[in-house]
Amino acid sequence: MKAAVQYFGAMIATNLRASMALRGAFWTRTIFMFINNFIYLVMWWVFFDEFSEVRGWMLPDMLAIYAVAAGVFGTAMIVAGGVMTLARTIVQGDLDTFLTQPKPVLLAVVASRSEASGWGDVASAVVLFALCGYVTPASIPFVLLALASGCIVFVASAVIFHSLAFWLKDTEALSRHFLHFLLAYAAFPKTVFLGWLKVALFTVIPAGFVTFLPVDVVRGGGWKVLLAALGGVVIYGSLALLVFRAGLRRYESGNRFGVRA
Amino acid sequence: MSWRRDAALAATSARQTMSARGELVGRALFFGVLLLVFSRLWLVMAEEGRLGGVAAANFLWYLALTEWVVLATPMIYLTIEEDVKRGDLAYSLARPVSYLRAKFAEGLGELAVRCVSLGVLGFGLAWLFIGRLPDQPLALLWALPTGALAMVLLMQIQIAIGLCAFWIHEAAPVYWIVQKLNFVFGGLLFPLTFYPDWLRAISEATPFAAAVYGCGKLSFGTTTSAALTTLLWLVVWNVVNAGFVSVVYGRGVRAVEVHGG
Amino acid sequence: MGTIEVDGLRKVFSVRERARGLGGAVRQLFSAPSREVRAVDGLTFRIEKGERVAFVGPNGAGKSTTIKMLTGILHPSGGAARVLGLVPWEKRRELAYRFGTVFGQRTQLWYHLPAADTFALLRHVYDRDVTDHKRRLTELVEAFEIGPFLNKPVRQLSLGQRMRCEIAASLLHDPEVLFLDEPTIGLDVNARAIIRDLIRDTSRERGVTVLLTSHDTGDMERVCDRVIVINHGKLLLDESILSLRQTYIRRKRVTLVTASERVDIDLPGVTVAERAPHRTVFEVDLEVTPVDVVVQAALRAGKLRDLTVEDPPMEEIVQAIYAGR
Repeated sequence: MKAAVQYFGAMIATNLRASMALRGAFWTRTIFMFINNFIYLVMWWVFFDEFSEVRGWMLPDMLAIYAVAAGVFGTAMIVAGGVMTLARTIVQGDLDTFLTQPKPVLLAVVASRSEASGWGDVASAVVLFALCGYVTPASIPFVLLALASGCIVFVASAVIFHSLAFWLKDTEALSRHFLHFLLAYAAFPKTVFLGWLKVALFTVIPAGFVTFLPVDVVRGGGWKVLLAALGGVVIYGSLALLVFRAGLRRYESGNRFGVRA
Repeated sequence: MSWRRDAALAATSARQTMSARGELVGRALFFGVLLLVFSRLWLVMAEEGRLGGVAAANFLWYLALTEWVVLATPMIYLTIEEDVKRGDLAYSLARPVSYLRAKFAEGLGELAVRCVSLGVLGFGLAWLFIGRLPDQPLALLWALPTGALAMVLLMQIQIAIGLCAFWIHEAAPVYWIVQKLNFVFGGLLFPLTFYPDWLRAISEATPFAAAVYGCGKLSFGTTTSAALTTLLWLVVWNVVNAGFVSVVYGRGVRAVEVHGG
Repeated sequence: MGTIEVDGLRKVFSVRERARGLGGAVRQLFSAPSREVRAVDGLTFRIEKGERVAFVGPNGAGKSTTIKMLTGILHPSGGAARVLGLVPWEKRRELAYRFGTVFGQRTQLWYHLPAADTFALLRHVYDRDVTDHKRRLTELVEAFEIGPFLNKPVRQLSLGQRMRCEIAASLLHDPEVLFLDEPTIGLDVNARAIIRDLIRDTSRERGVTVLLTSHDTGDMERVCDRVIVINHGKLLLDESILSLRQTYIRRKRVTLVTASERVDIDLPGVTVAERAPHRTVFEVDLEVTPVDVVVQAALRAGKLRDLTVEDPPMEEIVQAIYAGR
């Protein structure tokens, strides 16, 4: 256990150093992501300026859900950036290096990249949490746990989605849009989702576990909501492990794509 | 003769766009997701009688039109940036084909495929999700010339972004900024009529409003003269941008000649 | 128990076919045809501890695929294999502590960081004790002469320097078996020679079993003592380099440098391959005339300044094997 923690720590430390090795690129990415998040909010500010609320969902709630989304994605980009390119890693046979090492492959590949843009997300999350007015010193532990659970479900569902590349052929370009698919639901006035769509958002596209439950925790939902969010962690976490393991059996190390017919 | 060459280039790039189906399917799915989420939003708002008598359908068709224009624009800045960085432009000077003209033709080929496929899909889904056409369905016919000119305009802006690589290390950050400005000033999610006066005034002075909002607002109906005015503005912006792009290109090429690439 | 045992190993890939033309492109939007390719087709061999074996074959012969199955990267379609007594694709992690790999076309070094950072991380990857790690690292840095560029970002290294770091990285955890897939690909002549010597010496000193693939026959001559030739996924030949020479070398080249401008040897099976003033190269068919007879004839033919007897290049031998001769 101690060795595993040390290994994961060393992995993250190494990839942080790698992401910061090119200083110029690091800062541009960080700053642009920060600006990017606020530009989307400008559009929502316009909306709430016009209509003030949607089924009880107001601008501070919008700020809170953006804060959660930015916190979740930012953290994922920093400690598990490898997940965003997993499909490409699979298709191009770049799992080889990880497979010849005596460590859990999924953990290694996911932790093998750190995206500088994640820091911009985390910075905007901090600002948005301060602006939304829901966070008090006492609620900070809740907020952090909620973010962690959202982050794990996000990474797990990205793993499942990207693992399609083990079976299907052209999923790489598709997988790159995964973040956008999820974000379209996850940073939205969640009160408008009802019925079958709400069911879908807690199953197929787990925006419910990535931001809806965590944002309810932030808005003072308490223990029960947090427990529900953690339930999602267990389910999506084990599902991701199962799917990835099944996929590895079909891994072709780039051969299928390298051969010209 | 050279028209035939342009057509051949466009056809080849159209074929390539179709064979890279992952990217196309990814964009299409993203388009679908956006229409789905926003259809819920507008339906809820209409149900609660908050839209001041305007049909929810008009608002969803607005998004269908703006996203159609934005998503159909090819990411041509990437290939131009690459050509500039690799110094391929220097070779193209020795050829009888104008580089810009060739890129433009290639872009048109890609644009045509996306314009048709995303248009059919997006308008079909908008209809499906909201159940009807906008109040003035015939105004949508104006979207065909308006959308086409808008896409060409956005593509020209992309060409200009790609050419930035003559002077700066990485064109991507420029693209991100321009893209975000396009979203806000173009009124991607919400019509400019929602905007506070000062922001609306700024937006309307940009080519983004001419392209994105210009096409989107047709969903709220139009008069012949208003539609023709929009088209006229698009023509003006296209001419201005074409001039701008060729000046930038000329300067870039000269900069390369001076510094020897 | 052999260190590597392979029995009837098979691997089948399904390959997608690209359709042509506009119609094809449209069809491809919906479905794409595929066909099966047998990359490895019933391979059987056995390697003992400390052996250095070259895995030779033309591109696409199935060399890399076999290595990938032996390292647990790929699951085979059929057949059996054991490395150090373990089935690689079942005991992948357990086995990974005990072998090292170098894939010439991939890298395990972090591109933007100095190699030293990768080495530090590898200590945790292989759960190595700090003192063992330091001792081994010092040895390798010295033997591989990588000290001067150890703290430079990998992207700034030459290919040869990078490959030296790459191999050092694969040896840091004292593996018992070393798999190398095209370790000299893209290197220049000098870098190639250095890499070959390093692999051979490490193997000799530590008794490391080496299996290397290459389509450069120089790798197999300089590093290995045994060669396995495959093509189309099937075994063509499995012999020691020595007996390969004895079996396949039916010809030798005899070069004479003489005081007289021109010499001739008039024996059956001896032909002139090259002729220049004072220098003549003869090709000798050993089945017709033994080489000692030719040398004696050469001594009688004129005043000799120099005489060399050579085998034909290994490349020719391997080409002959592919061709089935």
